[in-house]
Amino acid sequence: MRPTDLWRYEVRRAGWAALLTPPVATAALLLLALLDGGDDTDRTLLAALEMVLPLAAGVGAASLVGRDPAVELQLTVPTSYRSTLLRRLAVTLGWAALLAVLVAGILLATGGMPQERGALSGQLVWLAPTVWLGGLGFLAGAAFRSPAAAGGLVTTWWIVQQVFPGLLQGRDWSRTLYLFETTRGAVPEGWAANRLTLVATALVLAGLGWALLGRAERLLREEAE
Amino acid sequence: MTAAFVYEFRMQARKRSMWIANGVIVALLGLLTANLLTDALDEPSAKVAMTSGAFLVNLILPVVYGCFLADRLVRDDKLGVAPILDATPASTAGRLSGKYLGSCAAAAVPLAIIYFGFAVLYAATAGHPVALAWAAALFAVVILPAVLFVGAFALVVPLLIPAPLFRVLFVGYWFWGNSIHPTLMPTLSQSLISPIGPYPLQELFGYGGPGGDVVLAGPVDDATLNFLRPAATAATAWLSIGVLLAVAALVLSAAPALRARTTR
Repeated sequence: MRPTDLWRYEVRRAGWAALLTPPVATAALLLLALLDGGDDTDRTLLAALEMVLPLAAGVGAASLVGRDPAVELQLTVPTSYRSTLLRRLAVTLGWAALLAVLVAGILLATGGMPQERGALSGQLVWLAPTVWLGGLGFLAGAAFRSPAAAGGLVTTWWIVQQVFPGLLQGRDWSRTLYLFETTRGAVPEGWAANRLTLVATALVLAGLGWALLGRAERLLREEAE
Repeated sequence: MTAAFVYEFRMQARKRSMWIANGVIVALLGLLTANLLTDALDEPSAKVAMTSGAFLVNLILPVVYGCFLADRLVRDDKLGVAPILDATPASTAGRLSGKYLGSCAAAAVPLAIIYFGFAVLYAATAGHPVALAWAAALFAVVILPAVLFVGAFALVVPLLIPAPLFRVLFVGYWFWGNSIHPTLMPTLSQSLISPIGPYPLQELFGYGGPGGDVVLAGPVDDATLNFLRPAATAATAWLSIGVLLAVAALVLSAAPALRARTTR
Protein backbone atom coordinates (compact mmCIF):
# COMPACT_ATOMS: atom_id res chain seq x y z
CA MET A 1 0.00 0.00 0.00
CA ARG A 2 1.43 3.38 -0.99
CA PRO A 3 1.51 6.13 1.63
CA THR A 4 -0.98 8.21 -0.40
CA ASP A 5 -3.46 5.33 -0.20
CA LEU A 6 -3.32 5.51 3.59
CA TRP A 7 -4.04 9.22 3.52
CA ARG A 8 -6.88 8.80 1.04
CA TYR A 9 -8.32 6.05 3.18
CA GLU A 10 -8.18 8.18 6.33
CA VAL A 11 -9.94 11.08 4.61
CA ARG A 12 -12.70 8.75 3.45
CA ARG A 13 -12.90 7.06 6.85
CA ALA A 14 -13.36 10.40 8.63
CA GLY A 15 -16.67 10.55 6.79
CA TRP A 16 -19.17 13.32 6.39
CA ALA A 17 -19.84 13.42 10.13
CA ALA A 18 -16.32 14.62 10.96
CA LEU A 19 -16.04 16.85 7.92
CA LEU A 20 -19.36 18.53 8.66
CA THR A 21 -18.49 19.88 12.12
CA PRO A 22 -16.28 22.88 11.21
CA PRO A 23 -18.50 24.25 8.38
CA VAL A 24 -21.77 23.68 10.28
CA ALA A 25 -20.42 25.39 13.41
CA THR A 26 -19.23 28.34 11.31
CA ALA A 27 -22.59 28.48 9.50
CA ALA A 28 -24.42 28.55 12.85
CA LEU A 29 -22.43 31.63 13.89
CA LEU A 30 -23.04 33.35 10.54
CA LEU A 31 -26.76 32.61 10.83
CA LEU A 32 -26.81 34.23 14.24
CA ALA A 33 -25.05 37.29 12.83
CA LEU A 34 -27.61 37.47 10.01
CA LEU A 35 -30.45 37.37 12.56
CA ASP A 36 -28.78 40.32 14.22
CA GLY A 37 -28.97 42.34 11.02
CA GLY A 38 -25.66 41.14 9.54
CA ASP A 39 -24.11 44.61 9.67
CA ASP A 40 -20.73 43.47 11.00
CA THR A 41 -19.87 40.42 8.89
CA ASP A 42 -16.11 40.99 9.23
CA ARG A 43 -16.26 40.77 13.01
CA THR A 44 -18.34 37.59 12.79
CA LEU A 45 -15.90 36.00 10.36
CA LEU A 46 -12.98 36.94 12.60
CA ALA A 47 -14.79 35.33 15.56
CA ALA A 48 -15.40 32.20 13.45
CA LEU A 49 -11.71 32.16 12.54
CA GLU A 50 -10.33 32.45 16.06
CA MET A 51 -13.08 30.82 18.15
CA VAL A 52 -15.35 28.48 16.19
CA LEU A 53 -13.01 26.65 13.79
CA PRO A 54 -10.43 25.93 16.53
CA LEU A 55 -13.19 24.57 18.80
CA ALA A 56 -14.43 22.26 16.05
CA ALA A 57 -10.85 21.09 15.39
CA GLY A 58 -10.23 20.53 19.11
CA VAL A 59 -13.37 18.43 19.65
CA GLY A 60 -12.55 16.51 16.46
CA ALA A 61 -9.05 15.77 17.78
CA ALA A 62 -10.58 14.68 21.11
CA SER A 63 -12.77 12.13 19.32
CA LEU A 64 -9.98 10.11 17.68
CA VAL A 65 -9.10 7.58 20.39
CA GLY A 66 -11.65 5.09 21.70
CA ARG A 67 -13.75 4.62 18.60
CA ASP A 68 -12.02 1.74 16.83
CA PRO A 69 -13.94 -1.47 17.45
CA ALA A 70 -10.86 -3.73 17.12
CA VAL A 71 -7.77 -1.96 18.45
CA GLU A 72 -6.14 -5.38 18.95
CA LEU A 73 -6.06 -5.83 15.18
CA GLN A 74 -4.79 -2.30 14.60
CA LEU A 75 -1.89 -3.03 16.94
CA THR A 76 -0.78 -6.06 14.94
CA VAL A 77 -0.43 -4.36 11.53
CA PRO A 78 2.97 -3.02 10.38
CA THR A 79 1.79 0.62 10.52
CA SER A 80 1.86 1.61 14.17
CA TYR A 81 -1.52 2.56 15.59
CA ARG A 82 -0.27 5.86 16.94
CA SER A 83 0.95 6.82 13.46
CA THR A 84 -2.56 6.07 12.22
CA LEU A 85 -4.01 8.29 14.95
CA LEU A 86 -1.50 11.04 14.12
CA ARG A 87 -2.58 10.79 10.48
CA ARG A 88 -6.20 11.15 11.57
CA LEU A 89 -5.23 14.17 13.67
CA ALA A 90 -3.60 15.70 10.59
CA VAL A 91 -6.76 15.07 8.53
CA THR A 92 -8.97 16.62 11.24
CA LEU A 93 -6.79 19.70 11.70
CA GLY A 94 -6.05 19.92 7.97
CA TRP A 95 -9.71 20.16 7.06
CA ALA A 96 -10.30 22.90 9.65
CA ALA A 97 -7.14 24.64 8.38
CA LEU A 98 -8.40 24.55 4.80
CA LEU A 99 -11.60 26.29 5.79
CA ALA A 100 -9.69 28.73 8.00
CA VAL A 101 -7.38 29.74 5.13
CA LEU A 102 -10.49 30.38 3.05
CA VAL A 103 -12.10 32.54 5.77
CA ALA A 104 -8.79 34.38 6.37
CA GLY A 105 -8.56 34.99 2.60
CA ILE A 106 -12.03 36.54 2.57
CA LEU A 107 -11.11 38.75 5.54
CA LEU A 108 -7.86 39.86 3.89
CA ALA A 109 -9.70 40.63 0.64
CA THR A 110 -12.47 42.62 2.31
CA GLY A 111 -10.14 44.42 4.72
CA GLY A 112 -11.76 42.75 7.71
CA MET A 113 -8.47 41.41 9.09
CA PRO A 114 -6.99 43.66 11.82
CA GLN A 115 -4.69 46.15 10.06
CA GLU A 116 -1.51 45.09 11.82
CA ARG A 117 -1.88 41.50 10.49
CA GLY A 118 -0.51 40.74 7.05
CA ALA A 119 -1.33 37.83 4.77
CA LEU A 120 1.18 35.64 6.59
CA SER A 121 0.91 36.77 10.22
CA GLY A 122 -2.88 36.84 9.79
CA GLN A 123 -2.78 33.05 9.53
CA LEU A 124 -1.66 32.90 13.17
CA VAL A 125 -5.12 34.20 14.15
CA TRP A 126 -6.53 30.70 13.56
CA LEU A 127 -3.40 28.56 13.54
CA ALA A 128 -2.42 29.13 17.17
CA PRO A 129 -5.78 28.32 18.83
CA THR A 130 -6.45 25.49 16.35
CA VAL A 131 -3.22 23.63 17.04
CA TRP A 132 -3.51 24.33 20.78
CA LEU A 133 -7.03 22.94 21.15
CA GLY A 134 -6.08 20.16 18.70
CA GLY A 135 -3.06 19.27 20.85
CA LEU A 136 -5.13 19.40 24.04
CA GLY A 137 -7.84 17.21 22.47
CA PHE A 138 -5.25 14.69 21.22
CA LEU A 139 -3.55 14.48 24.63
CA ALA A 140 -6.87 14.25 26.51
CA GLY A 141 -8.07 11.57 24.06
CA ALA A 142 -4.88 9.56 24.65
CA ALA A 143 -5.15 9.98 28.42
CA PHE A 144 -8.89 9.31 28.87
CA ARG A 145 -9.51 7.04 25.82
CA SER A 146 -13.01 8.49 25.85
CA PRO A 147 -14.26 11.08 23.33
CA ALA A 148 -16.84 12.26 25.89
CA ALA A 149 -14.25 13.04 28.58
CA ALA A 150 -11.70 14.51 26.16
CA GLY A 151 -14.39 16.57 24.39
CA GLY A 152 -15.63 17.77 27.78
CA LEU A 153 -12.16 19.03 28.70
CA VAL A 154 -11.68 20.88 25.38
CA THR A 155 -15.12 22.52 25.48
CA THR A 156 -14.74 23.52 29.15
CA TRP A 157 -11.38 25.15 28.51
CA TRP A 158 -12.98 27.03 25.61
CA ILE A 159 -16.00 28.27 27.59
CA VAL A 160 -13.91 29.28 30.61
CA GLN A 161 -11.83 31.52 28.36
CA GLN A 162 -14.99 32.96 26.82
CA VAL A 163 -16.86 33.62 30.05
CA PHE A 164 -13.89 34.70 32.18
CA PRO A 165 -11.37 36.30 29.80
CA GLY A 166 -9.83 38.08 32.79
CA LEU A 167 -8.80 34.84 34.47
CA LEU A 168 -6.00 34.19 31.99
CA GLN A 169 -5.38 37.75 30.90
CA GLY A 170 -4.83 38.91 34.47
CA ARG A 171 -1.30 37.48 34.75
CA ASP A 172 1.67 37.82 32.42
CA TRP A 173 2.42 34.09 32.23
CA SER A 174 -1.15 32.95 31.68
CA ARG A 175 -1.89 35.70 29.15
CA THR A 176 0.46 33.97 26.72
CA LEU A 177 -1.93 30.98 26.79
CA TYR A 178 -5.13 32.98 26.13
CA LEU A 179 -6.76 31.56 23.00
CA PHE A 180 -8.69 34.61 21.79
CA GLU A 181 -5.97 37.26 21.91
CA THR A 182 -6.88 38.71 18.47
CA THR A 183 -10.59 39.25 19.10
CA ARG A 184 -10.64 39.82 22.85
CA GLY A 185 -7.02 40.49 23.82
CA ALA A 186 -6.30 43.27 26.28
CA VAL A 187 -2.58 43.79 25.50
CA PRO A 188 -2.04 44.18 21.72
CA GLU A 189 1.79 44.25 21.97
CA GLY A 190 1.78 40.77 23.48
CA TRP A 191 0.03 39.24 20.46
CA ALA A 192 3.06 37.69 18.76
CA ALA A 193 4.39 36.21 22.01
CA ASN A 194 0.94 34.79 22.74
CA ARG A 195 0.67 33.16 19.30
CA LEU A 196 4.14 31.66 19.39
CA THR A 197 3.70 30.35 22.95
CA LEU A 198 0.42 28.73 21.94
CA VAL A 199 2.01 26.99 18.95
CA ALA A 200 5.04 25.84 20.98
CA THR A 201 2.94 24.49 23.87
CA ALA A 202 0.57 22.81 21.41
CA LEU A 203 3.52 20.81 20.10
CA VAL A 204 4.35 19.80 23.68
CA LEU A 205 0.73 18.69 24.29
CA ALA A 206 0.63 16.66 21.08
CA GLY A 207 4.07 15.19 21.91
CA LEU A 208 2.81 14.06 25.33
CA GLY A 209 -0.23 12.51 23.64
CA TRP A 210 2.09 10.71 21.21
CA ALA A 211 4.21 9.39 24.11
CA LEU A 212 1.13 8.15 25.99
CA LEU A 213 -0.14 6.34 22.90
CA GLY A 214 3.19 4.50 22.73
CA ARG A 215 2.10 2.39 25.68
CA ALA A 216 -0.09 0.02 23.73
CA GLU A 217 -1.35 -1.87 26.78
CA ARG A 218 -3.21 1.29 27.89
CA LEU A 219 -5.19 1.24 24.65
CA LEU A 220 -6.29 -2.33 25.24
CA ARG A 221 -7.51 -1.73 28.74
CA GLU A 222 -11.27 -1.48 28.53
CA GLU A 223 -12.77 1.92 29.29
CA ALA A 224 -15.71 1.31 31.62
CA GLU A 225 -18.75 2.69 29.85
CA MET B 1 -37.70 1.80 34.63
CA THR B 2 -36.08 1.29 38.03
CA ALA B 3 -33.70 -1.33 36.67
CA ALA B 4 -32.74 0.93 33.74
CA PHE B 5 -32.25 3.82 36.19
CA VAL B 6 -30.02 1.84 38.54
CA TYR B 7 -27.96 0.26 35.77
CA GLU B 8 -27.51 3.50 33.84
CA PHE B 9 -26.52 5.30 37.03
CA ARG B 10 -23.94 2.69 37.99
CA MET B 11 -22.56 2.46 34.47
CA GLN B 12 -21.98 6.21 34.30
CA ALA B 13 -20.83 6.65 37.90
CA ARG B 14 -18.21 3.91 37.46
CA LYS B 15 -16.79 5.54 34.36
CA ARG B 16 -13.29 6.38 35.51
CA SER B 17 -12.73 9.00 32.83
CA MET B 18 -15.70 11.00 34.16
CA TRP B 19 -14.06 11.38 37.55
CA ILE B 20 -10.60 12.10 36.15
CA ALA B 21 -11.94 14.70 33.69
CA ASN B 22 -14.02 16.39 36.39
CA GLY B 23 -11.02 16.32 38.72
CA VAL B 24 -8.72 17.90 36.12
CA ILE B 25 -11.28 20.62 35.35
CA VAL B 26 -11.89 21.44 39.02
CA ALA B 27 -8.13 21.50 39.70
CA LEU B 28 -7.55 23.86 36.75
CA LEU B 29 -10.39 26.16 37.78
CA GLY B 30 -9.24 26.06 41.40
CA LEU B 31 -5.73 27.06 40.33
CA LEU B 32 -6.98 30.01 38.28
CA THR B 33 -9.60 31.20 40.76
CA ALA B 34 -7.79 30.61 44.05
CA ASN B 35 -8.16 34.28 45.06
CA LEU B 36 -11.88 34.29 44.14
CA LEU B 37 -12.37 31.23 46.34
CA THR B 38 -10.79 32.93 49.36
CA ASP B 39 -13.02 35.98 48.70
CA ALA B 40 -16.08 33.70 48.59
CA LEU B 41 -15.11 32.08 51.89
CA ASP B 42 -14.81 35.56 53.47
CA GLU B 43 -18.33 36.54 52.33
CA PRO B 44 -20.32 37.39 55.50
CA SER B 45 -23.72 36.25 54.16
CA ALA B 46 -24.16 32.48 53.78
CA LYS B 47 -26.99 33.03 51.29
CA VAL B 48 -24.89 35.26 49.01
CA ALA B 49 -21.91 32.87 49.15
CA MET B 50 -24.03 29.81 48.28
CA THR B 51 -25.92 31.62 45.52
CA SER B 52 -22.69 32.82 43.88
CA GLY B 53 -21.41 29.25 44.07
CA ALA B 54 -24.55 27.86 42.44
CA PHE B 55 -24.33 30.50 39.69
CA LEU B 56 -20.73 29.54 38.90
CA VAL B 57 -21.49 25.81 38.95
CA ASN B 58 -24.41 26.35 36.56
CA LEU B 59 -22.39 28.62 34.29
CA ILE B 60 -19.47 26.27 33.60
CA LEU B 61 -20.12 22.66 34.60
CA PRO B 62 -23.16 21.95 32.35
CA VAL B 63 -20.68 22.03 29.45
CA VAL B 64 -18.86 19.10 31.07
CA TYR B 65 -21.87 16.90 31.77
CA GLY B 66 -23.54 17.89 28.48
CA CYS B 67 -20.52 16.40 26.69
CA PHE B 68 -20.59 13.28 28.86
CA LEU B 69 -24.28 12.56 28.35
CA ALA B 70 -24.10 13.04 24.58
CA ASP B 71 -23.31 9.39 23.81
CA ARG B 72 -25.71 7.69 26.25
CA LEU B 73 -28.65 7.02 23.95
CA VAL B 74 -26.81 6.44 20.66
CA ARG B 75 -24.51 4.01 22.47
CA ASP B 76 -27.12 1.22 22.49
CA ASP B 77 -27.37 1.41 18.72
CA LYS B 78 -23.60 1.61 18.26
CA LEU B 79 -23.04 -1.50 20.35
CA GLY B 80 -25.84 -3.28 18.52
CA VAL B 81 -27.78 -4.03 21.71
CA ALA B 82 -30.76 -1.76 20.95
CA PRO B 83 -32.79 -4.45 19.09
CA ILE B 84 -32.17 -6.94 21.93
CA LEU B 85 -33.32 -4.41 24.53
CA ASP B 86 -36.36 -3.63 22.36
CA ALA B 87 -37.25 -7.32 22.45
CA THR B 88 -37.41 -7.39 26.26
CA PRO B 89 -40.76 -6.97 28.05
CA ALA B 90 -39.60 -3.58 29.48
CA SER B 91 -41.52 -0.74 27.82
CA THR B 92 -39.66 1.73 25.60
CA ALA B 93 -40.92 4.69 27.60
CA GLY B 94 -39.86 3.08 30.90
CA ARG B 95 -36.37 2.25 29.63
CA LEU B 96 -35.97 5.72 28.16
CA SER B 97 -37.02 7.48 31.38
CA GLY B 98 -34.81 5.16 33.43
CA LYS B 99 -31.84 5.82 31.17
CA TYR B 100 -32.51 9.57 31.22
CA LEU B 101 -32.96 9.89 34.98
CA GLY B 102 -30.13 7.45 35.73
CA SER B 103 -27.56 9.21 33.57
CA CYS B 104 -28.71 12.65 34.81
CA ALA B 105 -28.42 11.45 38.42
CA ALA B 106 -24.90 10.16 37.73
CA ALA B 107 -23.99 13.51 36.11
CA ALA B 108 -25.31 15.30 39.21
CA VAL B 109 -23.03 13.35 41.59
CA PRO B 110 -19.77 15.21 40.74
CA LEU B 111 -21.74 18.48 40.82
CA ALA B 112 -23.07 17.63 44.27
CA ILE B 113 -19.59 16.73 45.53
CA ILE B 114 -18.10 19.98 44.20
CA TYR B 115 -20.97 22.21 45.36
CA PHE B 116 -21.62 20.66 48.77
CA GLY B 117 -17.86 20.42 49.29
CA PHE B 118 -17.73 24.19 48.88
CA ALA B 119 -20.76 24.56 51.20
CA VAL B 120 -19.16 22.44 53.93
CA LEU B 121 -15.87 24.35 53.59
CA TYR B 122 -17.74 27.65 53.88
CA ALA B 123 -19.90 26.47 56.80
CA ALA B 124 -16.78 25.33 58.66
CA THR B 125 -14.58 28.37 57.99
CA ALA B 126 -17.27 31.06 58.33
CA GLY B 127 -19.17 29.32 61.13
CA HIS B 128 -22.52 29.48 59.32
CA PRO B 129 -24.07 25.98 59.23
CA VAL B 130 -27.17 27.51 57.62
CA ALA B 131 -25.09 27.56 54.41
CA LEU B 132 -25.81 23.84 54.04
CA ALA B 133 -29.57 24.49 53.99
CA TRP B 134 -29.15 27.24 51.38
CA ALA B 135 -26.95 24.92 49.34
CA ALA B 136 -29.58 22.14 49.44
CA ALA B 137 -32.32 24.56 48.32
CA LEU B 138 -30.18 26.01 45.51
CA PHE B 139 -29.14 22.56 44.34
CA ALA B 140 -32.78 21.48 44.04
CA VAL B 141 -34.18 24.67 42.53
CA VAL B 142 -31.34 25.96 40.34
CA ILE B 143 -28.82 23.20 39.59
CA LEU B 144 -31.10 20.16 39.11
CA PRO B 145 -33.47 21.77 36.55
CA ALA B 146 -30.38 22.67 34.50
CA VAL B 147 -29.17 19.05 34.66
CA LEU B 148 -32.57 17.76 33.49
CA PHE B 149 -32.81 20.37 30.71
CA VAL B 150 -29.28 19.79 29.37
CA GLY B 151 -29.61 16.01 29.86
CA ALA B 152 -32.69 15.79 27.64
CA PHE B 153 -30.99 17.61 24.76
CA ALA B 154 -27.71 15.71 25.22
CA LEU B 155 -29.52 12.38 24.99
CA VAL B 156 -31.82 13.19 22.09
CA VAL B 157 -29.96 15.56 19.73
CA PRO B 158 -27.11 13.08 18.98
CA LEU B 159 -29.80 10.85 17.43
CA LEU B 160 -29.97 13.50 14.71
CA ILE B 161 -26.38 14.72 14.43
CA PRO B 162 -23.01 13.11 15.34
CA ALA B 163 -21.99 13.47 19.00
CA PRO B 164 -18.83 15.57 18.29
CA LEU B 165 -20.90 18.06 16.27
CA PHE B 166 -23.44 18.16 19.10
CA ARG B 167 -20.65 18.96 21.60
CA VAL B 168 -19.37 21.85 19.47
CA LEU B 169 -22.83 23.31 18.84
CA PHE B 170 -23.84 22.78 22.47
CA VAL B 171 -20.91 24.72 23.93
CA GLY B 172 -21.51 27.48 21.36
CA TYR B 173 -25.18 27.57 22.37
CA TRP B 174 -24.23 27.63 26.05
CA PHE B 175 -22.11 30.74 25.61
CA TRP B 176 -24.64 32.43 23.33
CA GLY B 177 -27.80 31.46 25.24
CA ASN B 178 -26.55 32.17 28.77
CA SER B 179 -23.66 34.62 28.78
CA ILE B 180 -24.26 37.13 25.99
CA HIS B 181 -26.08 40.28 27.04
CA PRO B 182 -29.45 40.59 25.23
CA THR B 183 -28.63 44.05 23.86
CA LEU B 184 -25.66 42.67 21.89
CA MET B 185 -27.62 40.21 19.73
CA PRO B 186 -30.81 38.14 19.79
CA THR B 187 -30.18 35.59 22.56
CA LEU B 188 -32.06 33.41 25.01
CA SER B 189 -30.02 34.66 27.96
CA GLN B 190 -31.87 36.34 30.83
CA SER B 191 -35.07 34.68 29.59
CA LEU B 192 -37.43 32.06 31.04
CA ILE B 193 -35.67 29.30 29.11
CA SER B 194 -32.14 30.12 30.16
CA PRO B 195 -31.01 26.95 31.96
CA ILE B 196 -28.53 28.67 34.29
CA GLY B 197 -31.66 29.92 36.06
CA PRO B 198 -31.55 33.73 36.10
CA TYR B 199 -35.17 34.02 37.32
CA PRO B 200 -34.92 31.71 40.34
CA LEU B 201 -31.43 33.00 41.22
CA GLN B 202 -32.61 36.61 41.24
CA GLU B 203 -36.14 36.28 42.58
CA LEU B 204 -35.96 33.35 44.97
CA PHE B 205 -32.43 33.92 46.24
CA GLY B 206 -31.88 37.63 45.63
CA TYR B 207 -28.71 37.14 43.55
CA GLY B 208 -27.41 40.25 41.78
CA GLY B 209 -24.10 39.18 40.25
CA PRO B 210 -20.66 39.42 41.88
CA GLY B 211 -21.18 43.09 42.85
CA GLY B 212 -24.82 42.59 43.84
CA ASP B 213 -26.02 45.23 41.36
CA VAL B 214 -26.59 43.21 38.16
CA VAL B 215 -30.07 42.54 36.79
CA LEU B 216 -30.11 38.89 35.72
CA ALA B 217 -33.71 38.40 34.61
CA GLY B 218 -36.66 40.28 33.16
CA PRO B 219 -37.23 42.51 30.11
CA VAL B 220 -34.21 44.36 28.71
CA ASP B 221 -34.60 47.68 26.87
CA ASP B 222 -33.85 47.52 23.12
CA ALA B 223 -33.46 43.72 23.17
CA THR B 224 -35.18 41.25 20.88
CA LEU B 225 -37.08 38.19 22.17
CA ASN B 226 -38.37 40.19 25.15
CA PHE B 227 -41.60 38.16 25.01
CA LEU B 228 -39.53 35.42 26.65
CA ARG B 229 -38.55 37.83 29.44
CA PRO B 230 -41.63 38.67 31.50
CA ALA B 231 -41.23 40.87 34.57
CA ALA B 232 -39.17 38.98 37.14
CA THR B 233 -41.22 37.91 40.16
CA ALA B 234 -41.30 34.85 42.39
CA ALA B 235 -44.15 33.51 40.24
CA THR B 236 -42.20 33.86 36.99
CA ALA B 237 -39.20 32.23 38.71
CA TRP B 238 -41.31 29.10 39.38
CA LEU B 239 -42.73 29.41 35.87
CA SER B 240 -39.17 29.43 34.50
CA ILE B 241 -38.40 26.15 36.30
CA GLY B 242 -41.66 24.69 34.96
CA VAL B 243 -40.83 25.81 31.41
CA LEU B 244 -37.34 24.25 31.59
CA LEU B 245 -38.75 20.92 32.80
CA ALA B 246 -41.58 21.01 30.22
CA VAL B 247 -39.10 21.65 27.37
CA ALA B 248 -36.97 18.76 28.67
CA ALA B 249 -40.00 16.43 28.70
CA LEU B 250 -41.00 17.55 25.21
CA VAL B 251 -37.53 16.92 23.80
CA LEU B 252 -37.37 13.53 25.48
CA SER B 253 -40.76 12.55 24.09
CA ALA B 254 -39.34 12.94 20.57
CA ALA B 255 -36.69 10.28 21.25
CA PRO B 256 -38.70 7.10 20.40
CA ALA B 257 -39.74 8.48 16.99
CA LEU B 258 -36.18 9.62 16.22
CA ARG B 259 -34.76 6.27 17.30
CA ALA B 260 -37.19 4.40 15.07
CA ARG B 261 -35.98 6.57 12.20
CA THR B 262 -32.29 5.95 12.79
CA THR B 263 -32.33 2.28 13.89
CA ARG B 264 -31.57 0.06 10.96
